[in-house]
Amino acid sequence: MVKLLISLLLVFTTTVSFSQTSSCACFIKGIVRDQHTSQPVVGATILVLGQNNGVFTDSQGKYQINNLCPGSYQIECRIVGYTPSRFKIDLTEGHIEDFNLEEDEVHLQDVEISAHRTDTPGSQPLTSLTGTELFKTRGDNLAESLKGLTGVTSLQTGASISKPVIHGMHSNRVLIMNNGVRQEGQQWGSEHAPEIDPFVATRLSVVKGAAGVRYGSDAIGGVVLVDPEELPFDKPLSGELNLVGFSNGRQGVSSATLQGSVKGWKGFGWRAQGTLKRGGNIRTPDYFLDNTGLSEKNFSLSTGYRHRGFGIDVFYSRFDTKIGIFSGAHIGSVTDLLNVIKNGEPLVKSGFSYDIARPNQNAQHNLIKAETHYHFNDGNRLQWTIAQQINDRNEFDLHGPRNDSLASLNRPELTFKLNTLTNDLVWDHRPIAKKISGQIGISSLYQYNLMSGRPLIPNFNQFNLGVFWIERYAKNGWELEAGVRYDYRTLATHRYVKKEKISTDFTFSNFSGTIGATKNITPYLSAKLNIGTAWRAPNVSELFSDGVHHGAAAYERGDSTLTQEKAINSIASIQYSTNRIKVELGGYYNYISDYIYLQPQAEPMLTIRGAFPYFKYTQTNAVFRGIDLSVDYELAKNLTLSSKLSYLNVYDKGNDNYLVMIPPNRWDNQLKYQLENIGPLKNVFVSAGNLSVAQQKRVPANSDFAPPPKAYSLWNMQIGSSIPVTEKNELEINIGIQNLFNVAYRDYLNRFRYYAHDMGRQVSIRLKWKFGASNK
Amino acid sequence: MKRNISWMLLFGIASLFVQCKDSGEDVKPDTDNELITTVKLKFTEQGTTNVSTFTSSDPDGEGGAAPVIQPISLKAATTYAVTVELLDESKTPAVDITKEVDEKAEEHLFIYTASPSTLLTYTAEDKDANNYPVGLVGKATTGAAGTGTLKVQLRHQPGNKNGTATPGSDDVNIDFVLQIN
Repeated sequence: MVKLLISLLLVFTTTVSFSQTSSCACFIKGIVRDQHTSQPVVGATILVLGQNNGVFTDSQGKYQINNLCPGSYQIECRIVGYTPSRFKIDLTEGHIEDFNLEEDEVHLQDVEISAHRTDTPGSQPLTSLTGTELFKTRGDNLAESLKGLTGVTSLQTGASISKPVIHGMHSNRVLIMNNGVRQEGQQWGSEHAPEIDPFVATRLSVVKGAAGVRYGSDAIGGVVLVDPEELPFDKPLSGELNLVGFSNGRQGVSSATLQGSVKGWKGFGWRAQGTLKRGGNIRTPDYFLDNTGLSEKNFSLSTGYRHRGFGIDVFYSRFDTKIGIFSGAHIGSVTDLLNVIKNGEPLVKSGFSYDIARPNQNAQHNLIKAETHYHFNDGNRLQWTIAQQINDRNEFDLHGPRNDSLASLNRPELTFKLNTLTNDLVWDHRPIAKKISGQIGISSLYQYNLMSGRPLIPNFNQFNLGVFWIERYAKNGWELEAGVRYDYRTLATHRYVKKEKISTDFTFSNFSGTIGATKNITPYLSAKLNIGTAWRAPNVSELFSDGVHHGAAAYERGDSTLTQEKAINSIASIQYSTNRIKVELGGYYNYISDYIYLQPQAEPMLTIRGAFPYFKYTQTNAVFRGIDLSVDYELAKNLTLSSKLSYLNVYDKGNDNYLVMIPPNRWDNQLKYQLENIGPLKNVFVSAGNLSVAQQKRVPANSDFAPPPKAYSLWNMQIGSSIPVTEKNELEINIGIQNLFNVAYRDYLNRFRYYAHDMGRQVSIRLKWKFGASNK
Repeated sequence: MKRNISWMLLFGIASLFVQCKDSGEDVKPDTDNELITTVKLKFTEQGTTNVSTFTSSDPDGEGGAAPVIQPISLKAATTYAVTVELLDESKTPAVDITKEVDEKAEEHLFIYTASPSTLLTYTAEDKDANNYPVGLVGKATTGAAGTGTLKVQLRHQPGNKNGTATPGSDDVNIDFVLQIN
């Protein structure tokens, strides 16, 4: 069983094709390496699916499979501690050549497999976006990029602020691991999007289900992994330039990466990357949304060194964004909100503009990380990661101070400064009898928050210590996994109440556990089961909120007696995969005790701006259960249907009722036609698809100002191709149209659904120029 | 190998120097730019010096104690001169918001809505620089005896004030009980 995703980055593929017809003399050979340490992976199984043909890698990580006939094969690579992964390989059809029959000139595929460490339980479903699939999302923010995955949606505040939702959970219930470091921003806020530039990553993955043992607090709904490519140690200079244009918002995005090694310095590698993004007002089918522009400037630098078993990586990234908030969503009282809803469209009219005025938010996130590891000769491995994150967030309300001299300072009404230091020490012990592998780790987090402006959350100091132990065992097609973790957290808060400083201290502690099994029933069929627990401590806004939430027109009050939330999640999945069809069916049942939510109170809260509905943070027991289904079926040669279904049903057991803000069921279908190569154009495809989102009917009665929006159905189209210019230069292009028919719709999980329609038609053009590295 | 271990040690020592901070020392009192805690309506019976003042007061701002709203009691079929005063009493000394509203008159509009509407009619008697009403000073005429409510709204309409209540958002929205005797 596993803990890692093997990402089969097909690094080098060479095809030599001279040969005799009917000869089944093709072979595949290569080497399997741990992508991170570059150490060969010994004892990995390489399977040819559909044939009882499999080999193991030797002590140098090498393998070779002989006597294959020309044709298309699915190859699978698996080993304890790594999630199995599959890839397709074409052994070229030989044409008749009556000469040159030397031994070496048979069909040959030389494949180097890089196994990528991501530390996720192997029995939990993991889906990744890489390569062309990732390219199709370039220019989108993190949550929008992940939206295509089954079971994943997004919680939006307008079109530009988006947070990932996994199995109906978001914010503090979804953990984001940015480059191996847990992302710490002001995640409690539903309008606080993760401060991450997806261009940093060459792989975005989602682990579904509770993964509390490996990741600690907050990994209740799932984990998002943002992973850059391994540094190019001792490889030549290479790079990538991405240009993206969006018609809606007239948005332009450019991102460039340059990487290489240093001549004469063996074992060094470096990378520099930067992104610029600028967009203006978003247009719905009928009108522009005032003040919805954005501006983003990000960069990252990294360098690393490898020598034998030793390695060190240093990474710095800065994310800097300024986002306009739709001014038509500002309300002073419930009357204002009801008037907008009644009007059916925003009362504030606008044309197109790039200006970002009040209200807006700007956020800067700095991450500096150093990671070092050492592979002992006896197979033990030690890894230490230390990281500091400085998150600065400023929010400007629509109206500044009334007083002119104060207003001229143009200070934000809310300022948050969050500083986080994390340390993770992980020891991977030597495999026992080549069958049991495992790791023991200790993680610490120290954090403080400084706050000024409108009363919202207190200042706090937080300290967390966690220890975990996970073991895995593999035999006869079974992979078993078990782990435990203990977390201890202290939280000291400081705030002013009626001009008096009040300090309140909390401590939380929790045990988490996980057990899982994976069984490879046949080479085509495998099944996984995982039962895991996770927890999270109540966040400061749940403990101390006390005021009107202007976006929601609700008076929200925290409760400082809240206890931690605990989840027990069972998740089972079946994978069936042949050359023509690939099916993944998963079901989950996530029971969350002491689930924290906003409970409507009978009496409204009276303020100078009238009566607001009054909500209190309360705890109940909730059940999240659902089904994720994904099918890829080759209907005919080159014609593939991909269908993804996400079904979710959430129930509040404590109150015998439904819960609010749960994503409705959705069904996504894409039909893709892969053309033969056209002249210089390779991998040309045309696709058309439809996304159908149902109306959320499972809502508590009378809990909202407006009923959940109606079901909607959006069509999209894409064409794309890659153009190898020279051996080391490649262009990739993709043109897409989202919301093809310019449908006016509203999404239940867009917090601006009360005020305006969602985005209208969106035409996007994506261009990528890759240079310096050999084409695949 | 030795060198590698010393690298790691160096690394660890470096992490000890990372500064800890007590967030409690830096805690700042909250400042809410736009807070209005108190609305005073002053009714002066026309031709007399009889002044009645009715107050809605919520000195601790949103939450905490609920606002105290005095019922408005007026004579039937009488005309009153009405002025309004806004205060932020959460600060010491209390901040007079009326002045600030007056300075930004072209962004603000008071709306007085009686329900049922026969109880009271209101006309603003002041104008801003664009010749739109403001409502800091006005005239109210009561109808026949009865009971209902008087809704007092302060509309904040920066850049889009057009003399109607529609643009902008509420800075004040209070329902006073209205008794016409």
